[in-house]
Amino acid sequence: MSNTLLSIQGLTRRFGGLLAVSDVSATIAKGELVGLIGPNGAGKTTLFNLITGFTPPSDGTVTFDGQDVTGRKPWQIARMGMGRTFQNLRVFPNMTVFDNVSVGAVGAFGQSPWRALVNGGAHSRAVSERSWEALERVGLTAQAGDIAANLSYGKRKYLEIARALATAPRLLILDEPAAGLNDTETAELADFIRRLHAGGVTVLLVEHDMGLVMGSCSRVIVLASGRKIADGTPEAVQRDPAVLEAYLGVEDDAA
Amino acid sequence: MDVNVPDARLMPDTLAPPAAFSGRGRRFAWTFLLLAVAFGAVPAAIVGTGSSYLAQIAITTMIFVILSASLNHVTGTAGLLSIGHAAFYGIGAYAAALLSTKLGLPFVVTLPAAGLIAALFGFLVALPTMRLVSIYFAVATLGIGEMIYVVLLNWVDVTRGPMGIRGIPPIELFGWQADTLLSRYLAVAVIAVACVWVLHRLTHSYYGNALRALREDDQCADSMGINVERLKIESFVVATFFAGIAGALLAHTSAYIAPDNFRFMESILILAMVVVGGLGSLPGAVVGALFMIVLPEALRDIGDYRMIAVGATMFLSILLLPKGMLAEGTALGFVRRSFSRGWATIAGGTPVGWK
Repeated sequence: MSNTLLSIQGLTRRFGGLLAVSDVSATIAKGELVGLIGPNGAGKTTLFNLITGFTPPSDGTVTFDGQDVTGRKPWQIARMGMGRTFQNLRVFPNMTVFDNVSVGAVGAFGQSPWRALVNGGAHSRAVSERSWEALERVGLTAQAGDIAANLSYGKRKYLEIARALATAPRLLILDEPAAGLNDTETAELADFIRRLHAGGVTVLLVEHDMGLVMGSCSRVIVLASGRKIADGTPEAVQRDPAVLEAYLGVEDDAA
Repeated sequence: MDVNVPDARLMPDTLAPPAAFSGRGRRFAWTFLLLAVAFGAVPAAIVGTGSSYLAQIAITTMIFVILSASLNHVTGTAGLLSIGHAAFYGIGAYAAALLSTKLGLPFVVTLPAAGLIAALFGFLVALPTMRLVSIYFAVATLGIGEMIYVVLLNWVDVTRGPMGIRGIPPIELFGWQADTLLSRYLAVAVIAVACVWVLHRLTHSYYGNALRALREDDQCADSMGINVERLKIESFVVATFFAGIAGALLAHTSAYIAPDNFRFMESILILAMVVVGGLGSLPGAVVGALFMIVLPEALRDIGDYRMIAVGATMFLSILLLPKGMLAEGTALGFVRRSFSRGWATIAGGTPVGWK
């Protein structure tokens, strides 16, 4: 077995005449912290949806942990160990913080009505403990009993991460976690992600915030107009003329 | 934010599962109180007054408790708005009525059979409609409900159409016949309590959390590893099963059923019970059923004005208590605390999780 956790080959997605993602191939090894960046409309979200099973690819394959998962349903892929957060904060608003996180754990352990009726004690305890651990990791145990909708924006971000962690992911995909955060909060988040990674979680960070990606990731993949235009260390990517033209160059002009 | 504290373990003392959880006494207090009302106070009142009217209201209330609690399971907890619940109630009633009058099957067979047949129909309806969302699903259940009503009304060879089915035998268990008012009530109450208990275990658990997650955001639940489609079908099947049980109880306690018992208005009445009680709240569904059955009867003295009074009360209750008489959040906390279903108690005495 190789050290590859996620491998995508020739991934393509057409929406009518629009080629949203075109022939993208990449791999992520176990233990990596990889950034995926690209200007608006580059196809980041589509690629994200192709990997997590929300959108079926027009062409190409997704291999996760040695298994071809192309065309599988999101819950099946999630149960194999791919946890995610959402760009536009999707906590379960009317549920408590603890109950939100428990859904991730229930997803991982499986759910059955029979267990709720008879002999479910051990299963429930495992879900409870896993949920509590996830809340400890993001520092939200004091809010465990609060309704999620009442949390501050920043704390809801951490709640989403805790919920994803409760699925015990082998790959954690964070979709623009820094969106809507100020500089201090972004720095805290970067620190948190680095510690998560140091603790053994493989992370794919889909981001807009260049500082967060360049400062945290060991490798960066750059997407522009649906194609992969660069893949390397942050330093190499930042010097890459194709990247400068497609992404950073635009920013220079704007500034 | 305290996430910068390395390995922040917040107040480990506040987590005390489950040894420091002292809800046991109170759990028995509430369980005892509820059982004392259902099997002590109400039977005493029925015997004391000898009133068949009172017994009939008590029986109807219990049947609607099952209907309201089961609709709450699919609509309140899992978030699938069904406005055809009465149709499955009707399927259960007709199944029990036909199995007992035509085939002579005993109550121990017709009761579960009514539930299973209604659940089978529920499953067949759920299969193609589960991909529909919100209002589209509601319209589909409305259509199915009307369709079933029209079949009950017009398939005269089997259902006797608008004449209904007469002479349905009373509840009978291994030779013991529930032929007095009291025994009829007691039999219905035992079954209703059992139904509510099952729904309580299903809702107040991590399985229930998965159902609530569907309602909140099913795509998101999907990406947490929750098999959304299976759960939706399960919740609908469970709800229609209990609607069928309620139908069998109606058939065997009233001896006569007709299609009019299962019209669209009944579905709306059950839905109103759930909403007034509190969407997603099982105690609320029970209270809602009590309220909507008992209030019109209690207001009989004011004659024709009573339905106006009932309507106004509903209107005001939803205006003043939009989350219902017993809102979901309150109800879940109450069940965790007073029925000792919570996993642990955190600082401030808030119980979290499920056992």
